[in-house]
Amino acid sequence: MNKHFPVSRRGFLKLGGSTAAIAGSLGATRLHAMEQDQGGKDFSPVTGKERQAVPYTCMVCNIEDGGIAYIEDGRIVKLEGNPDHPGNRGKLCAKGNSGFLHVYDPDRIMTPLLRTGKRGESKWKRISYDEATTILASKLREVIDRSIKENDPAIRNEIVFKWGRNRTGGAVHRFMHAMGSNAMVNHTNICESSKKVGLEPSWGPDIESCDWTNTKYALVFGANVLETAYFHNPNAQRLVDGVVGNKAKLVYFDPRMGNTAALADEWFAPYPGTDGAIALAIAQVIMNEKLYDDAFIRTWTNVTPEQLIEHLKPYTPEFAEKESGVPAKDIRRIAREFATTKPATTFSYRGPAKHVYGSYQEAAIHMLNVITGNVEKKGGYCLPRGMNFNQPSPKPPAAKVPSALGAPPQYPLASHAVSTHMPYQIMKGEEKVAVYMTYYDNPVYTYPSSHVWDALLKDEKLIPFYCSFSPYMSETAELADLIIPDTTYLERNDPESMPSDLRPWLGIRQQVIKPLGGTQEWRDTIIQTMHKVDPDGSLGMKQYFAFKNGEEWVRAQFDGIPGLKEDGGYDYLKKHGVWPKYGSVDPVTAKIVDKNGEEVQPEFGLHMKELSAADMDGATIADNGAIKKGGKTIGVRINGKNMAGFGTPSGKIELWKASYVKYGFNPLPVYKRLASRDKKPDELVLTTFKVNVHTQSRTASLKYLAELYHKNPAWINPKTAAARGIKDGDLIRVTSSVGYMVTRAHVTEGIHPDVVAISTACGHSAYGRLAQLKQKEKVAEWALGGDPDIDHNVWWDDKGVHPNSIIKLAVDPIGGSQGWYDTVITVTKAQAGDKYGDVKSSLEVSIKDYEETLRFAYTGDIHKANHKEVQIDWDHLPEPHVGAGH
Amino acid sequence: MTLEMKKAETAKMIEENRAQAGIFTLLGRTLEYEADEAFLELLRTTLREPLAEAGVELPDDLLHGPSAEVLEHLAVEFTGLFVAPGAISPYASVFETGAMAQEPSSRVNHWYTEAGFEFRRMLSGEFPDHVGTMLGFVAALYSAEADCLERGDDVAAEETKVRRERFLLEEVGGWVPGWCRIAASVAGHPFYERMLDLTGRVLWEELSMIAPPRRLRELSDLNARRPARLESSPEFRKASGL
Repeated sequence: MNKHFPVSRRGFLKLGGSTAAIAGSLGATRLHAMEQDQGGKDFSPVTGKERQAVPYTCMVCNIEDGGIAYIEDGRIVKLEGNPDHPGNRGKLCAKGNSGFLHVYDPDRIMTPLLRTGKRGESKWKRISYDEATTILASKLREVIDRSIKENDPAIRNEIVFKWGRNRTGGAVHRFMHAMGSNAMVNHTNICESSKKVGLEPSWGPDIESCDWTNTKYALVFGANVLETAYFHNPNAQRLVDGVVGNKAKLVYFDPRMGNTAALADEWFAPYPGTDGAIALAIAQVIMNEKLYDDAFIRTWTNVTPEQLIEHLKPYTPEFAEKESGVPAKDIRRIAREFATTKPATTFSYRGPAKHVYGSYQEAAIHMLNVITGNVEKKGGYCLPRGMNFNQPSPKPPAAKVPSALGAPPQYPLASHAVSTHMPYQIMKGEEKVAVYMTYYDNPVYTYPSSHVWDALLKDEKLIPFYCSFSPYMSETAELADLIIPDTTYLERNDPESMPSDLRPWLGIRQQVIKPLGGTQEWRDTIIQTMHKVDPDGSLGMKQYFAFKNGEEWVRAQFDGIPGLKEDGGYDYLKKHGVWPKYGSVDPVTAKIVDKNGEEVQPEFGLHMKELSAADMDGATIADNGAIKKGGKTIGVRINGKNMAGFGTPSGKIELWKASYVKYGFNPLPVYKRLASRDKKPDELVLTTFKVNVHTQSRTASLKYLAELYHKNPAWINPKTAAARGIKDGDLIRVTSSVGYMVTRAHVTEGIHPDVVAISTACGHSAYGRLAQLKQKEKVAEWALGGDPDIDHNVWWDDKGVHPNSIIKLAVDPIGGSQGWYDTVITVTKAQAGDKYGDVKSSLEVSIKDYEETLRFAYTGDIHKANHKEVQIDWDHLPEPHVGAGH
Repeated sequence: MTLEMKKAETAKMIEENRAQAGIFTLLGRTLEYEADEAFLELLRTTLREPLAEAGVELPDDLLHGPSAEVLEHLAVEFTGLFVAPGAISPYASVFETGAMAQEPSSRVNHWYTEAGFEFRRMLSGEFPDHVGTMLGFVAALYSAEADCLERGDDVAAEETKVRRERFLLEEVGGWVPGWCRIAASVAGHPFYERMLDLTGRVLWEELSMIAPPRRLRELSDLNARRPARLESSPEFRKASGL
């Protein structure tokens, strides 16, 4: 008995048991698990005070997920996904969650630095932003004045701007065009440019947006969707929706086993560079067995089934097995499954595209969706959906003289340029640079044969003045003459839209806190610089930069967007981060649902949307049905209906590419055997890969991510390793024609026996103390004192070894992509005197590689030999000219 | 105590406070910004002898080199030592949390505000918890204390003294002497090496006067902090680490 409660213990427990049993029917309590909320609010665990929530668009990588920054006492203390964002639906990846560490990184460059010693000697003097922009403006003005004096607009192209990641919404082009320069060099050919050039001439856009969620069959080639491939976080969620929620089958091709292979129903490890042979064989089976969508091909493409059947004859499954190693019986089965399971889709990324002739491989994979009629279907292979924003008026006209820098005329089809060629063009005297500027770019680390960039930037005759806008001391920034640090992405304004979902969206990047410590965003630097280049406006340049600051510039970019103004315009975006709001994330299914709990469906069949009377006003219809207006194709007439069609000259999908054949390339997808396929038996193929918690180069100094992944041993198959006497963890020497590196072996079944794979993101020689593990090397110099993480929790002492320096330059003559996965190597146990981390490479060999890869271009002698099947007048190919195709 | 005696004692305290303010101003100025023409001139003239007596022999190049060259050289050294990535970060936040502009920065700023000061940066990348600014604050408090004494406001002088001592014990004493030792050990120019060494000694002297023995031992331990080298265990993962 209890004096306060007159019942025996037995009786008490009985009461408790009964109460527990009926708890559900006793009604609601006011207490709920916090995790039931979908985000958007956060509280200080110490004070309980609600934190300020500011939406933004992520930019740790290129996927541009929506996020919410939580601010406490003026500091960003946490990031999470924006639940209003249709792409990432309230979730961020590990990189996104860690992004705020960039802001407070003690190795961040917080003030402009002026070089005082030799290039790369790390001798700097700090100066103010005002002094820095004055120096930059004077250098730019020198070039402009020389151009005026000599009446030669081409001189303006000596002002060069190179970027790695440009999410400025056209600001870089505005800046460069205002000064009359076209010398803008992107990074796309070290990324996925041959994928883009495999797709664009066929259907317009440069990428597909699969409806993973509703598909029943996904055939994925070389795209590690669950970890890193384009639209990583949104696509990973949608793929899981499809595979788990919709019971879709996933078949995956990749020489290396990543998480996508692990999720797949079937994983095949083909020989690198043979995805095209597999896709063509699948197409052959589908066509020969009449499993194709006859009506779609005849109505919506510029080829007939008969043409395709004839073209595909050589590509038997047995041929594909010989090339790829994937059994013919599996290829046949997969072809039948893919064609008969509806809806179905393919997806591909760098695996097929990053080879010499990668454009053909992408085109072959794309064709599978076309011949099976899966294009623009629910659950199928869809066009990407994005939204546009503007550059404010007045806009500077495009510069007068095209530039060949990073866009050599030998590659007229490479619409995303060939940036890898830039240093060689300058070293050979073909192009000249007076002022070189870089933004979010680190080629000394990220490019193939990266030592060539190092040599270029150290040469003050070739690069007389180099200004970096990097907020971090990267391997490239440390070679600059002047660094005017940008802010991080959380302290900057940009407009955004990315086709990461089938429901299009507009977003903003805004300053979630004021730029830390009085730093300034790049837009402000450019406004100030241009006001100094043209102080009285007499050059006509200042008018394009009549903004108070970066925010005013970006605000103006959202003027005139239909529907946005009615919802509150730019201020709506500042409050919500993304527009429009499609619905809310369902707490159980994680799908975006409306008020009634129904999933908000995207629109499908975009190509079949009928054109309005206003659209047709003034339009003419060509013999092939193309609807033309203002010199452009705006749609296609099919069966008497005027429809939007595809972004090609005919308005149909052009599997037969006129642009390709013009330069002697096969207009239809073909397979070209690569030199790496003919390697000697003791040789291997080197591939690289990105890991799920790092970008290529910018995240190694973030402690959350560095702890998760910080070293990159070479993946090697047990049989391959055993044949060389190599055990797991052994020191090995990896040798290519360019040089060698000394690293360690990671012996695993998860890699093709003919392949060695080494990840990027590790092995920095710059980029801060964690990236370099400096606190391990020179304790006193890099001491951070009492920081518990750096001092006590950095348990690793291996920063990895970066492979790019020994990777051979070799580009796709069509799309211009670097053949990242075409380098032939030998692997041995380390030799006497080899030390972990040794890397040696030859500039002379790389220059010869440049000359060799030019031989594959349409102007080169190897081109015709590799395209004997193309019936054209080989003696009268178009003359190369600068600006063709760009 | 006679009035005369009290006056004399007050005068002595004022003098001492002014002197301390001068020393802390010098130390703060040295660490907060690059040397300029005026500072170099002071080093070569007025400060040369007193610094030598305090154990800081100014190097020959600083005393006799062309001013422009000396200043350029010192500016490069200053940037490499305290500003550029990889530098010895002079911020309490970095020392205590590994990140810039964290809670120690707000805390220190609160001290400034309470004492009637406002932090204004001169260049980007500056925060209230900079070693030099904090030493400058100590100097300002010494100076304010002297002002109070001069106008006979003993209560305000005592409050200022208490504030200074608390600030030194709570915000400076636990890390700055140790930081000075590390920074001096990697300084590339003898001027900074010696001035950092002097800063550490001055601070320790100051702390020794105001901290009880037990607290002093604690501060000594705190300033002896070194980054620990933790070796990874081969048992922890596969040899390749994946």
